[in-house]
Amino acid sequence: MTTSRNLGVEDATDVRAVPRRSVGQKLLSSGTVLALVVLILFFFLMRPDVFLSFTNVKNILYQVAILAIIAGAQTIVMVVGDFDLSVAATSALAGAVAASLMISGWPIALAIFAALIVGLLIGLANGLLIAYVNLSAFVATLATLTSVTGLAFMVTEGTTLFNLPPEFNNLGQGKFLEIPLPVFIAIGISAILWFVLRFTTLGRRWYATGGNVEVSRLSGVNVRRARLLAFTVAGFVSAIGGVLLAARLGSASAVQGEDNLLFSVAAVFLGMTIVRSGAANLVGTMVGVAIIGVMSNGLNILGVNAYVQQVVTGLIIIAAVTLSSLKTRER
Amino acid sequence: MRTKFKALAAVAAAATLLLAGCSGSSGGGGDASGGSDEPFKVIAFTSGNQTPVGAWWVKAVEAQAEELGWDLTMIQGDFDFQKMNPAVESAIGQGADVILDGYTDVASIGSIVSAAKDAGIPIFAMDSGTEPTDAFAINITTDQQGIVDSTLGALDESLGGLDGKNIMVIGHDPHAGIRLRAGLAADDLEAAGATLAGGEIQKVASPATGRTEALALVADYLTANPGGLDGVWVGWDDAALGAAQAITEAGATGKVTGVDAVSESIAAIEAQGAFLATVEQPWPAILDSLMEHVLAYQEDGTMPDENFEAVSTTLVTIDNAADITPSDKLE
Repeated sequence: MTTSRNLGVEDATDVRAVPRRSVGQKLLSSGTVLALVVLILFFFLMRPDVFLSFTNVKNILYQVAILAIIAGAQTIVMVVGDFDLSVAATSALAGAVAASLMISGWPIALAIFAALIVGLLIGLANGLLIAYVNLSAFVATLATLTSVTGLAFMVTEGTTLFNLPPEFNNLGQGKFLEIPLPVFIAIGISAILWFVLRFTTLGRRWYATGGNVEVSRLSGVNVRRARLLAFTVAGFVSAIGGVLLAARLGSASAVQGEDNLLFSVAAVFLGMTIVRSGAANLVGTMVGVAIIGVMSNGLNILGVNAYVQQVVTGLIIIAAVTLSSLKTRER
Repeated sequence: MRTKFKALAAVAAAATLLLAGCSGSSGGGGDASGGSDEPFKVIAFTSGNQTPVGAWWVKAVEAQAEELGWDLTMIQGDFDFQKMNPAVESAIGQGADVILDGYTDVASIGSIVSAAKDAGIPIFAMDSGTEPTDAFAINITTDQQGIVDSTLGALDESLGGLDGKNIMVIGHDPHAGIRLRAGLAADDLEAAGATLAGGEIQKVASPATGRTEALALVADYLTANPGGLDGVWVGWDDAALGAAQAITEAGATGKVTGVDAVSESIAAIEAQGAFLATVEQPWPAILDSLMEHVLAYQEDGTMPDENFEAVSTTLVTIDNAADITPSDKLE
C-alpha cells in the first residue's frame, strides 16, 4: 500500500521534529505581519484621533473589500503555481454585462447570474488554454486580458453605464450594522475560499499541483483538471468582484477596477511570506490586502502626494517579493 | 544559376525603383487639390478612440469624409503612441493633402509633426494642446480659463463666497487640458481666499481608476477632517462623480463640479445632490469650424490666420441640464 503525501501544504500532523528557528528566521517568516503592525502603529501615532476610529477602519475595509475578492481569485490560481493576468478585466466585463442587462430590463438576479456565468466561462477558457493546450499562464491570460477588455468596450460601447436599479446598487452601497455590505460579502467569500483550500480534497490537490506537478501526477492527482478548476473558480470569483464594484459605484465601465490586477498579485506575494512553505495562502493574501489598504488610507490621511504613494507601494511590493524569494530559498 | 539569380535581382531592383518613383510622384502634399481629379486625401488620427467623445469624433469625421468624397485614412491609437505614431508616419509617407488630429496632445506626436512638416502636409487639430504651436495649421480647443471661471463661479454662488472656504482640487497631469485647468483653478481659488484641501492639487494616477481614486481621496479626507470640506473642483466628470459619491456617503454638505457633461453627471446634477455643475464643451461646433478651415484650404490653399483658437464653453447646472446633449451621446 502506498501513501501519498501532499507537498506544499501546511501539515499540522507532521510528527517529525523540526529544527528550532532563529529569531531572525522567525522575524523573516512573520515579516509581513510585522509590516502590517508597524504600518498601523505608524499611522496611528501620526493621527491618533483618526486612524483607528470606527469610521476610518470602516473606510479601509470598504476600500479593500473588492480587492480582497479579486485577490482571493488570484490566490487560487497562484496556489496551483500559475497566475492570472485577466482577473481585473474579467471583473470589469462581468460588471459591464450585469449593468447592460439590467438597463435592458432584465431582472437583477438574472443579470447578476449572467455576469457570473461570463466570468466562469472566461476562467474556463483560461483553464483550457493553460491546462490542456499547454500555453503558459502568462501568454494565455495576457491574451484573455486583451480580448476581454475589448469585449467590455463593446458591451459598454466605450461609455459608462449607469442608472442601475437602486436594489442592485444597494449590494455595493448598503450597510448592515453600519458596516458596508461589500465587507460582509468579501469576508464570506474569503472564508469559503479559505475553507476549500484548507479542508477539502480539492484544496489539497491544488496545493499539491502547485508544490510539485510531477509528483502530484504520479500520486494520482489529475493535474490538468485541478488547474482547469482553479482558473474557472478564479474567473467566477473575479466576476463576483466586478458585479460588486459596479454596485459600489452605481456604474460600469470597460476599465473599472483596472488596478486590482497589480494589487491582487502584490497581495498574494505579500501573503506568501507568512507561511513556512512560502505557498500562496488565503490568510496571507488578506494580510497583504490589509497592508495595501492601510497604506493607501494612511497616506491619504497624511496628505501624501499620489505619486509618492505609488513609489511607496512599489517599494513595499519589491520588499514583499524579496522576502518571498528568500523564503523559497530557505526551503 | 548564378546568372539567372542576378537577372532576377536586377529585375526586382528595377521594379522597386519604378514603384517608388510612381508613389513619389502621387505622394507628397502641401498643395490643395481643389482643381485636381484625384480625391482629396486625408489622414485622420486620434489616440482617444476608446473614450466616448473620441469614438464620436471618428464616426463624425468618417461621415463627413464620405459626404465630401474624401479619400480618408483613419488611424485609431487606443492611447498607444508606440503603435499609432508609426502608423500615421507610414500613411504620411504614402502621401496626403491634409492631416486631421483629434484629441491627441501635440506633446505625444513629435514624430508625426516632423514627418508632416518634411512632407509639407498641414495638420488641422482639435483639442490637441492648450497653447499655440506651429506644429498645427490650427488647433481649436476650449477655453480652459473660461471653464475654470464658470465652475468656480458656480461654487462661489452655491457656497456664498469662496473666501475662507476649504476646497479640494483634483487633477490628472498626463492630460494637458486637465493639468492646465486644475492649475488655473488652484491659483484662482487661492486668489479668492480659499484654502486648498490637502495643501495642493490632489492627483489621480490613472484615468481608468479616476472615480475610485477620487472616491477614496475625498472619503479619507472627510474622515480625517469631518465637516472640513466645502467643495471639490474636479478636472473631469468621472472623477467628480467619485468625489460626489464620497461626500454623499459621508453625509457631508460639500459641492462638486466637473467638466465634460457626460450623461451621468447631468443626471447627478438633475438629482440635486452633491454634484453641482459641469461644463459642456461644444465638440460638434468645433469640428464644423475645423472642417471649414480644411475646406478653405482644399479650395485654394488658404491657411487659417491663427494657429490656435480657444472657444467658449457652457456651464451646465440644474437650470439648463435638461437642454444639454451629453458628450457621451453625441451623434
